[in-house]
Amino acid sequence: MKYPYFPGCTLYTKAKKLDDAGRECSRRLGFELDELPDWTCCGATFPLVNDYHIAMSGPTRILADTKDQGGSQLVTLCSVCFNVLKRTNVVMRTDEERRQKITDFIERDYHGEVEVLHYLQVLRDEIGFEQLREKVVKPLTDLKVACYYGCLLLRPVKEIGLDVMENPTIFEDFVRALGAEPVDFPYKIECCGAFQVVHSMETATRCSRDILANARLNGADLVITTCPLCHFNLDDRQPEIRKGDPRFQTVPVLYFTQLLALALGLDAAELGFERNLIDPLPLLREKGLA
Amino acid sequence: MAQQNFLAEVMAASGQPINLCYQCRKCTLGCPMAEEFDFPPNMVMRMVQLGMKDELLRSKAIWMCVSCETCGTRCPNGIKTAPVMDVLREACLREGVTPADPVTVDFHRSFTDSIRKFGRVHEATMLLSYKLKTKNFTGDLDVGLKLFLRGKIPLLPKKAKNLNKIKDIFKKSDL
Repeated sequence: MKYPYFPGCTLYTKAKKLDDAGRECSRRLGFELDELPDWTCCGATFPLVNDYHIAMSGPTRILADTKDQGGSQLVTLCSVCFNVLKRTNVVMRTDEERRQKITDFIERDYHGEVEVLHYLQVLRDEIGFEQLREKVVKPLTDLKVACYYGCLLLRPVKEIGLDVMENPTIFEDFVRALGAEPVDFPYKIECCGAFQVVHSMETATRCSRDILANARLNGADLVITTCPLCHFNLDDRQPEIRKGDPRFQTVPVLYFTQLLALALGLDAAELGFERNLIDPLPLLREKGLA
Repeated sequence: MAQQNFLAEVMAASGQPINLCYQCRKCTLGCPMAEEFDFPPNMVMRMVQLGMKDELLRSKAIWMCVSCETCGTRCPNGIKTAPVMDVLREACLREGVTPADPVTVDFHRSFTDSIRKFGRVHEATMLLSYKLKTKNFTGDLDVGLKLFLRGKIPLLPKKAKNLNKIKDIFKKSDL
C-alpha cells in the first residue's frame, strides 16, 4: 500500500528523526510513504476567524495537489500539520461559501475529497495493532511509557476525530502492541506551553514541568510524543526545571516513531538520540534495548 | 448600544454563542495559561458580553492564548474560546491598538515572512528575523544556539520549488 505523504517543514529540520524513523518503519511494516513532489508549509496555525481565509490557502493547495496526483488519502506525522490539514479539509467539505472563496483565490478546484490521516491511524486502522504486534522483533518488555498526546492531535475532537477527548487510548494501544507498558498519566492531554517558549520560557517551563513530573510520579521511564514542538519543550526545558527543583528527575522524551523503530529491530545508534538533550541511551541499555 | 454591537460583532466573526456563557468557569479551570492571563477566559467572555472592547484589545490574555482548545472542548454551552481570542487579536491589529504583548506579534510576522521567502518555515532564519524585530539578543537566542549545536537546524533553508505561486498568493492577499 502506498500513501501520499506530507512531511512538513520541521520534519526536514528539527524533527528529522521523527521523519527518518517513520519512513524506515513504514518500509518494515509493508507500506510506503510517497512524499508529495513539491510542498509548502501548511501554515502551522488553523485560522479561527470566520472571514479570514488566507491561512487556509496553503493547506488547501497541499490537499488539491494530493488529489491531482490521484491520492485519496494524505498521511502526516506531525501533530501540527495533521491538525491544520484535517481542519481545513473539514471546511472544504462542509462550508460551501468559504470553499468557494478559497478555491477562487488559489485558482484550484477542491471539495475536500482527500482523507487526512495521522500515521497512528494508519497503524491502528489500516495495519491493525494486532498485526503490528506480530511484526515486533524486539518487544519493549519492562519499559514503562507515558503517552503524551498534547493538544493538536486531539482537539477539537469533532473535527479531528482521532480519539475521545478526556481519555484517549490510541497511543496506549500502540505502546502495548510494542510490548511496553503504558502508565496511567492524567497530564497526557495538557498543553506543553507551545510557541510561548519563544518569548516566555517560564511559561513553557512551568507547563512542561507539570507534565513531566506527573509522568515520573506515575512511574514512567520515558515519554513519547508525535509533535516536534512538544518534543522541543519537554526535552529542552528539563535543565531549567531542575534548576527550580533539584529533586526533579529528568526523563527522556522520544518521538513515537523512534520507539516503534526500536521494537521493529532498528539499532538505537541509528535513531539520532544524540540530538536529545536528555539522553535516552543509558535507560535503553539498562532495559537491554540498546 | 455599543455594547450590543460589540457582542454581536464578536459572535458573528467567531461563530460562537458567547451570550450563553453563565460563568461556570470550567474554561478557566482547565486553561494551561490562565494563571498568567490578566483576565482569565471566563472573564473574557463576560467582558465581551458587557462590550468592554478597549480593555479586551489592550489585554495580555488575547496574546497568551495558545489555542490548545481545552476550554472549548469542555464548555457546557458549546462556546469555543480560542476563536473568540483570535477575533480579538485580529481586531487589536486592525484597529491599530498597541498589543500588550508585541513580541508574540513579531514572532507570528517572522513566521509568515519565512513562508513568504522560502515557501517553508526555516527555524534558523525565522529566529534571526524575530531577534532583529524584537532587538532582544539574549533570552531564547540560547534556544536557537542550542538547536544548532545539537544539529537540529540546518544552516541553509530548503526552498519549495514553486515559489512564484506563493509570492502571488501573498501579493493577492496584501499580507
